[in-house]
Amino acid sequence: MKRLVRAAAGALILAMAALPAAAQKKGGTLVMVVLPEPPTLASYLSTSGPVGQVAAKVYEGLLEYGPDQKPKPGLAKSWEAAADGRSITFKLQDGVTWHDGKPFTSADVKFTLMEVLKKLHPRGGTTFQALAEVETPDASTVVMKLDKPAPYILSALSGYESPMVPKHLFEGSDIRSNPNANKPVGTGPFKFVSWERGQYVRLDRNPTYWRKGQPYLDRIVARFIADPGTRTAAMEKGEVHYGAFGAVPYVDIPRIRTLPHIDVSTDGYGMISSLMQLEINTAKPPFDKVKVRQAVSYALDRKFMIDNIWFGFGKPSTGPISSNFQAAGLYEGKVRDYTVKDAVEIANKLLDEAGYPRGADGMRFKIVHDMLPYGDEWRRLGEYIKQALGNVGIDVTLRYEDVPTWLKRIFTDYDYNITSTFYYNLADPVMGVHRQYHSSMIRKGTVFVNGSRYSNPAVDKLLDEATVETDPAKRAQQYSQFQKILAEDVPLIFMTEMQFATVFNKKVKGAFDDALGVYSSFAGVWME
Amino acid sequence: MALAVQRLRYLGRRALQAVPIILAIVVCNFVLLNLAPGDAASVLAGEAGSATPEYMAELRQRFGLDQPFHVQLFHYLRNMLAFDLGYSFRHSRPVLDLVLDRLGPTLLLMGTAAVVAIVVGVLLGVLAALNLNGWRDTLISIFALVSYATPLFWIGLMMIVVFSIQLDLLPTSGMESVAAFYEGWERVVDIARHLVLPATTLSLFYLALYTRLMRASMLEQAGMDYVVTARAKGLTERRIVVRHILRNALLPIVTMAGVQVAGMLGGSVIVESVFGWPGLGLLAFESLFARDLNLLLGIFFLSSCLVVAVNLLVDLLYALLDPRIEVR
Repeated sequence: MKRLVRAAAGALILAMAALPAAAQKKGGTLVMVVLPEPPTLASYLSTSGPVGQVAAKVYEGLLEYGPDQKPKPGLAKSWEAAADGRSITFKLQDGVTWHDGKPFTSADVKFTLMEVLKKLHPRGGTTFQALAEVETPDASTVVMKLDKPAPYILSALSGYESPMVPKHLFEGSDIRSNPNANKPVGTGPFKFVSWERGQYVRLDRNPTYWRKGQPYLDRIVARFIADPGTRTAAMEKGEVHYGAFGAVPYVDIPRIRTLPHIDVSTDGYGMISSLMQLEINTAKPPFDKVKVRQAVSYALDRKFMIDNIWFGFGKPSTGPISSNFQAAGLYEGKVRDYTVKDAVEIANKLLDEAGYPRGADGMRFKIVHDMLPYGDEWRRLGEYIKQALGNVGIDVTLRYEDVPTWLKRIFTDYDYNITSTFYYNLADPVMGVHRQYHSSMIRKGTVFVNGSRYSNPAVDKLLDEATVETDPAKRAQQYSQFQKILAEDVPLIFMTEMQFATVFNKKVKGAFDDALGVYSSFAGVWME
Repeated sequence: MALAVQRLRYLGRRALQAVPIILAIVVCNFVLLNLAPGDAASVLAGEAGSATPEYMAELRQRFGLDQPFHVQLFHYLRNMLAFDLGYSFRHSRPVLDLVLDRLGPTLLLMGTAAVVAIVVGVLLGVLAALNLNGWRDTLISIFALVSYATPLFWIGLMMIVVFSIQLDLLPTSGMESVAAFYEGWERVVDIARHLVLPATTLSLFYLALYTRLMRASMLEQAGMDYVVTARAKGLTERRIVVRHILRNALLPIVTMAGVQVAGMLGGSVIVESVFGWPGLGLLAFESLFARDLNLLLGIFFLSSCLVVAVNLLVDLLYALLDPRIEVR
């Protein structure tokens, strides 16, 4: 009976999903606002957000991902992993051509994987660490040969994360300084036309796109507007139709979402899973003591931050892995809870026990808090932290520097106490999480790795095992253990799971049918 | 004829003198900018979100950041002398291309704003001086004070709210309508419509300055002996104002405008960012935060050339307005 109900519900959902297909309309120009202006469109060399937001319309990956984050056919129409996990075979779509008319073949895939992504992509070295060789038995078959099982690779083959580039335009040149960085040639639904620096990138419909009937839009224009107030005004006036990742600042959202032609969504960020954290210098007193770090974790009210600084966007986080991984079985919620009622008393008690009694002025010790130099919200957060930690006797001085100075301070000089930051979990913990906690990732001068200098052999072992584990149940067990240890050790204070807001004109349809949101190809987007 | 030769010789000498000045500026900029902590490689990697140490080392090597400081300076100067402004690794394009792309829009915006500010400022200043302590004088002085005291970004945003959103007369931002891609005259009209708000906003601030300066200058000249003489000669009041007072009163405006126009050509970060105008100011601002030193130095080089050129022009203009000033 239960199964029957589920089947009926499934059929209903399918029917509902099929409905709007009839209403899809051809034509129109979608203007999206992208910030800041990307330096290049070389998404095969940089994972920087704005680069990918534009380039993902031009370059495609082997796979795409539905809202449930399960892989769907992309440039590969089918794929199969060997039972021992040591190889994955892809069958490519037929009749795919590059925008310059040359056919897309398995040779392009092999070249992209081995020569571009594995060697030059900032995350490619990690993602494809196990990839030993790519075999191409024929023009439409690709076989990845792996040294050891790497189950996470199948989560990392989107057009944003692993874009396929044309071998004939890159081979024999210095890939890093190839002129295609500024005029991409891909297989995607939109062709690059022009880039007016400081203004916009223009992409026109690819008439020979391999998915028949798509794309629906005639053109996508990505505009760059530096001022947040102006972005909101342009959205309000209908000059731009779509903006993701805080294109419209949080502070304007409560007002703009009441307008009849505007809507706001938090969908399309599921494969990013951004976690806001306080990175702590665990090698320097007073934060070398676990109890002090735990006290800070208790002293901060996550709900307050979400409601008052992020205007309700976000939810409290419990550890290093986002609850978005619940469906994949990798999230563990039963860990030490820092949001208990008497959290402030516990914090005071822990600080007393750690050997930092209150002095005559009520303060225990002084620290400097470095605010993430990414805008106003982080200043407001800093002000809140100063106040909240002041309540438990920690005297906080705030510091705000520019991005290069901040990066150098945290990841090269390690000259800090505590800083606000956020990290993407990405599609799998191997890609987004390990870099923060594995002791091999304490790498002076490399940014956004283990800047806390946290080192725990038990954690290293768990992470190493989970990297090659192919049994989902065992892998879940390893990550569960990992999250429990981290919640006790708190080398970073786990604050919130951030929710980004996409603001869009209601004329824009079909923009949320892909797990990658703004990083998807927009082949299925149309305008009413 | 002799005068023309003299002027040409003067021009040549001034141009030669400018070379060591600009070189000194380049060296100063290079040294100062290199004092800033952090480098382009760490920013690029930071934007990428993650990077391996090998990747970072490779970036630094490619950018030449692994070289000792004096070697970097030497390379830069050598390229400079060959009129090569270098390559922006961040943008994967030559610096000269990037700067020239922005030069047109910058000159358009700044030129329009400067002309509006000077012409309207002079007119308002004359009007105020002729109607000393009258209602027009009071009104103009209040207007000048308010324009001068209001922050530019606020004026810009209010302009957008009023003229673009409420009245729906003008576009909010950008230099042309990107959904339409007009051609020919339609494009000119489109760009002109986009120019109105930013040019007005930017000119308001300078306009206020010129109004006040012109008013004071007119009043000062009006009390001079030659004005009394002219009046005694029986000239009409109109002729006295236009031919005698105005011409002499313009000299301080020219001095002031010379200094400011040169500065304006470097771009205005605030107006450009509020109106999404593709100018040099914003490019300089962004490249500073990205530590894209080649690009930043290129912009500074161009700005310093412009300043030198405008100063020279102002000196020539003096001689034209007041024949007693000679160029030698």
